[in-house]
Amino acid sequence: MTSSDAAPIDLERMTEQLLKEIERATKSSDMAARIATNRIRVAVGQTPKEQIWALNKMRLYHYYPMVPPEQRKPVPLLLVFALINRPYIFDLRPGNSFVEYMLRHGYEVYLLDWGTPGPEDANYDFEDFSLKFLPRAIRAMKRHSGKQEFSMLGWCIGATIVTIYAAMRPDDGLRNLILLTAPIDFSDKEGSTFSRWLNTEYYNVDELVRQFGNVPAAVIEYGNKMLKPVENYIGTYLKLWDNLDNPAVVEAWLAMNTWVTDNVDFPGAAFRQWVVEFFRENRLMENKLMMEGRVVDLANIKANLLNVIADKDHIVPNCQSRSIMDRVSSKDKKLIELKGGHIGIMVGSGASKRAWPQIEAWLSERSN
Amino acid sequence: MTQPPNGFDPNDPIGTWRAWRDASLDAWAKSLTAMVNTETFSQAIGAQLDALLAVSGPVQQAVQQYMERYLAQAQLPSRNEVVTLASRLTNIEFRLDDMQAQLDELTSLLRQLAANGGLAPTDASLIGSRLSAIEEQLTALAAARPAARNRKTTSEDKE
Repeated sequence: MTSSDAAPIDLERMTEQLLKEIERATKSSDMAARIATNRIRVAVGQTPKEQIWALNKMRLYHYYPMVPPEQRKPVPLLLVFALINRPYIFDLRPGNSFVEYMLRHGYEVYLLDWGTPGPEDANYDFEDFSLKFLPRAIRAMKRHSGKQEFSMLGWCIGATIVTIYAAMRPDDGLRNLILLTAPIDFSDKEGSTFSRWLNTEYYNVDELVRQFGNVPAAVIEYGNKMLKPVENYIGTYLKLWDNLDNPAVVEAWLAMNTWVTDNVDFPGAAFRQWVVEFFRENRLMENKLMMEGRVVDLANIKANLLNVIADKDHIVPNCQSRSIMDRVSSKDKKLIELKGGHIGIMVGSGASKRAWPQIEAWLSERSN
Repeated sequence: MTQPPNGFDPNDPIGTWRAWRDASLDAWAKSLTAMVNTETFSQAIGAQLDALLAVSGPVQQAVQQYMERYLAQAQLPSRNEVVTLASRLTNIEFRLDDMQAQLDELTSLLRQLAANGGLAPTDASLIGSRLSAIEEQLTALAAARPAARNRKTTSEDKE
């Protein structure tokens, strides 16, 4: 920069700017004090729902429809999230809720909550989640809805679980399968930071699971945050600081922060399998993943498939999600790439303009 | 307020400082993100985990041994015993869930049969009442487990 580029010093304007900042800081201090003393809370997961089934820690919820019966879609939709976070990300806040959006478009929406595993659940692995627990939740949903055909949306590790289910139970009534940022193909060892960390011989996953049983949520949260340390440990708080005088931004930030810090333990056996059989050995894509004594063959997937990936996903890079398209037998399959990050595509400011309408439009054509 | 094209405005020191801060953070973010994606950092993460496990292993073992002795003397069940019990309860819950599903299927089939005139209404009613009695017993059994209780919620459960 050269000095000739700079505007001339104007004391009056400088004073005006400083006064504005002081005014803003005064407004912000009250909000900062309320946040610091935990006096401000935002409600999450507010869309009215009923629990229709429970098994061990799992809960299946049915959201109350928002449109009259004649406007409802005949094929119910089941939402399945990852094992390591809470599923209310689907229904974060009124006005910023995928569940609410789908209800308004006439879907019967069900949500599976895996719950928080206890020490007695440390031996559950992906076979249990995909082929023992999920089918029972689906059975309960079918019973409640009275419908034999259904759509299912899995997000993150939830997408891996529903993919395994779709491959192993192809005749169970699954009509539409939607995968969101699905970690499936781990062949590119340089493709993600997690691959580097977990593929190394230095990461002693066996001892970690042996000592702790379930992998503590704090360990998982640390790993997730260290992928982008500056953004997660500094940037996010600066963003809040800069917007303390804007209640709408503060509320949105608090809701997201509530979810980000509300992690659950990763069941030990599932975590070990995740690291060894998925990340290190890439068994699912190499047709070597065995469950119930059979190979989990992606070619068995016949359901209509929508695969949604995010262009800035640093947790599940695109290379892990794309290649499933060439492996399934679905005649009707579509891949869409959206702007945003791993979570941002579904809850960010653009979600209601990009991801939700595209998912709804695809599903709507296949739900009659 | 109009900003000069290069973003520097001497009359807005806070704004200028903020722009400098954001640019610095951005540079930091890029370099640290690149750093965590290196082999060296992977080794460091592994070493960090090993250090944690080296400390927590003996501590956990000592606490476990002490607690087991203490609980046995106090005539209280140990953690392992409680975990075993919880696993057995979960197994019972699974069997209950399967029985419930079979019962629902049977009830549905009987209703269809009755509706199609394949069963006399009195017989269907008799079987129906017997099934209801079984169902009540199952419900009572399920209710004995707090985790299996159905309840309406409008907000997220926090455990």
